[in-house]
Amino acid sequence: MYDNVIDQSKDITILELLDRVLNKGVILKGDIVISVADVDLVYLGVKLMLSSVETMEQLKSGNAILPINPGK
Amino acid sequence: MMNSLIYTYCLSNSPPEFSEDDKEQGLKSLRFDDFFVIIKYVSETEFSEENLKKNIGDLKWLEENARDHIRVISMIMEHSTVIPFNFGTIYQSENNLKKFIDDYSDSLTEHLIHLEWKEEWAVKIYCDRKVLNKQIDELSEEAAALEMQIMASSPGKAFLLKRKKTDLIENEMDRLCKNYGQDCFNECRNLSESTRLNNLLPKEFTGREDTMILNATLLVRKDRTIEFISVIRGLKNKYSDHGFDIEITGPWPPFSFISMKEKK
Repeated sequence: MYDNVIDQSKDITILELLDRVLNKGVILKGDIVISVADVDLVYLGVKLMLSSVETMEQLKSGNAILPINPGK
Repeated sequence: MMNSLIYTYCLSNSPPEFSEDDKEQGLKSLRFDDFFVIIKYVSETEFSEENLKKNIGDLKWLEENARDHIRVISMIMEHSTVIPFNFGTIYQSENNLKKFIDDYSDSLTEHLIHLEWKEEWAVKIYCDRKVLNKQIDELSEEAAALEMQIMASSPGKAFLLKRKKTDLIENEMDRLCKNYGQDCFNECRNLSESTRLNNLLPKEFTGREDTMILNATLLVRKDRTIEFISVIRGLKNKYSDHGFDIEITGPWPPFSFISMKEKK
């Protein structure tokens, strides 16, 4: 059943991935966690990376994209 | 150096089955009453508070690890219900992890019941306003009426009316985006158990030329996935000529539908 679904799923940009794993889920309950301030810094880094011409080209051509393969 | 820290991926309601590869990678499950926590032991060198903070500044390291985090949780999710931990949630001992489970056990149980057989899907809608603009006379009665007026007017009056039309077109495009977004969101809501609306992302983040007009996350029952995809596809076709595009991603672990409450 998943074959059909995967075909429909678009590739995942790094931003969408990070948005989930850094900001959501069971948060701030471990002995060590990534602080909100550190997450902000990560976003700043991603923003800088994404605004570079090279990355934009890669994004357009699909090379800088992280595929998710949940059925595998 | 010994791997002494516990890196947590997710909590699950049934014992996971690991492949040889997974075991080699260090994946383990710890059982606490009816809960199974999927973990791996990691080193201080990589995951101590200080080193973790340093490492997440390295986008390559972060991307690799974030990807692994999702991959493992997605794999567990195929056979059981999961509560995903967010990336970089580390425990110093099994006892500390056990304390977390004990403190939040009621909430964890509620989440497992609520999330059973459901997956998270993301729906983003974009509008290419240039394309929409070209069809505005067909889509907006007001714009069409004004265009008729312009054609029947003297050059001077037509000039003023054209300026008026520029403003009208912007408003009408906003209205059409709102209607379309609402229409799609309503369909999504009908197909899902819960919905979350997220901030719209600017073009520099999406890497797209068109404008994001809806960014929603849905919790969809696994047995409705096919129906969900087909409805979204229908919506996508219905409005694609007008410059709208729908992008869906998933299935994701239900990251967006977790909100923990401590036991009173």
